[in-house]
Amino acid sequence: MEIMETTMDSLTRRGFLKRTGWAMATVGSALGSMSAESLQLGFENGERPLVKYPQKRPLLQLTARPPQLETPFGVFNESLLTPNDAFFVRYHLTNSPPKAEVLQPGTFRLSIKGNVGTPLSLSMEELKKRFEPAEVVAVNQCSGNSRGFFKPRVAGGQLGHGAMGCARWRGVRLADVLKATSPVAGAKQVVINGLDTPFVPQTPDFIKALEMDQALDPELLLAYEMNGEPLPWLNGFPLRLVVPGHYGTYWIKHIHEITVVNEEFKGFWMNPGYRIPDDPCAAIAPGTAPRRTIPISRFNVRSFITSLGPGAVLKAGQLVVLRGIAFDDGHGIREVLVSDDEGRSWKAADLGKEIDRYAFREWTLRYTPTRVGSATLMARATNRLGQSQPLEPLWNPAGYMRNCVEAVVATVNAS
Amino acid sequence: MKTFLKLGLMGSLGCWLMAADVPVEPVRNAFGSDPWTLPAEKTQLKEGDGLKALSTNCLLCHSMDYVSTQPVLTRAQWTAGVEKMRARFGAVISTNAIPTIVEYLTRNYGRENPKP
Repeated sequence: MEIMETTMDSLTRRGFLKRTGWAMATVGSALGSMSAESLQLGFENGERPLVKYPQKRPLLQLTARPPQLETPFGVFNESLLTPNDAFFVRYHLTNSPPKAEVLQPGTFRLSIKGNVGTPLSLSMEELKKRFEPAEVVAVNQCSGNSRGFFKPRVAGGQLGHGAMGCARWRGVRLADVLKATSPVAGAKQVVINGLDTPFVPQTPDFIKALEMDQALDPELLLAYEMNGEPLPWLNGFPLRLVVPGHYGTYWIKHIHEITVVNEEFKGFWMNPGYRIPDDPCAAIAPGTAPRRTIPISRFNVRSFITSLGPGAVLKAGQLVVLRGIAFDDGHGIREVLVSDDEGRSWKAADLGKEIDRYAFREWTLRYTPTRVGSATLMARATNRLGQSQPLEPLWNPAGYMRNCVEAVVATVNAS
Repeated sequence: MKTFLKLGLMGSLGCWLMAADVPVEPVRNAFGSDPWTLPAEKTQLKEGDGLKALSTNCLLCHSMDYVSTQPVLTRAQWTAGVEKMRARFGAVISTNAIPTIVEYLTRNYGRENPKP
């Protein structure tokens, strides 16, 4: 294996893969059974091992305990919906994921309690039987997706662009379940807790709160299925919250406890955890501290080229179909523009069908490179509100919400 | 668009361009029957003075890659990180171990604070 890898390095394919963390699909098909052992995400100290976890193909391991796994970027060009076995994983607490025993049908129960007229305790079977099923195709994205690209660098999980994914989620509406408990007058927030726990009791449990009106939004699901299969263990089996258009921090996994409260919940993971500068762009001058912060909430607009990775080689005069994805917080993508000259000129890409306004939107562009040399390819999306992506990266101290235009530098050879 | 693409590609362009015709639906999970056990932790930190203090105090709650995957942080950033673990996350770190741990992290995974 050592020798094989050296050979591949000399042929530069493995070198290319290590540099970019991109073409996993290519590794699989072009190199047969041989697979890379690690990939380079594209920033300093960005090499991550590919590690196999239960119900997952080998994914980029950021941390082992608790597990944090990133999707190799080439997966986003395999299908528009992200396969369950490649979907990213992010935990906060030591005892994660919860042990299989506590999640099984015989033991697992969801309790809804607090300031409600009729508290409930339901098995998964009872939950499915009692409430009408609902579906949404929606992107989930970690607040810190792409943090490794921040300049200056910030402490925290050093992720590339792979802490996102789009799936078809099926479950019951949180609103239906809440209404069945008859919340009493004055109910302010809904506090949601999962079965993952810290090692020492002093560590704040990972609990998030939603305002009552948001919790009653019929779009929020208590999901038990992902892409037509039960949730993977590492993605929240048997039940997780789906908050379309909102960062993953609210998508609590292994939910076993929903509490309606009359006061604002003051847990660590709402404040000071997961806060952004109180500024329309969630940004401040690099290296400074925000004056005021608010909880992180909705996605900004993002787009990516997925059919080519850094170091790709094209031929002048030869047509290629560029492909990629775009998404926002649910207003929907109106336009994707593509540039091959560092943003001096832009061409409109063709948009694929809108499967769901919360889903990845496919875009394609028939593109014939003309100039020999290096081509800086960029995609820039605009949503139906007119919100777009900045050309230059913005900065905040936690490394959240990166959404600037990303560049892929390709080499164009003479044909 | 997809039909258009396919028609456009039928001719002389070669089937590799068909790769742009990406399906919506993902592949089904081929690993559904895996046993529910986690792989062993493999990351080891650099040898150095203070590694024992770090191992004793930090690794109860998280694996070593929480350190090794960080960018080159300044002494001030590592100090803030250790203090956050103690004050915010309730890590039980003895007060005299903190300077030892910060020293180890700065020497092996960081740098001194830049001159003002």
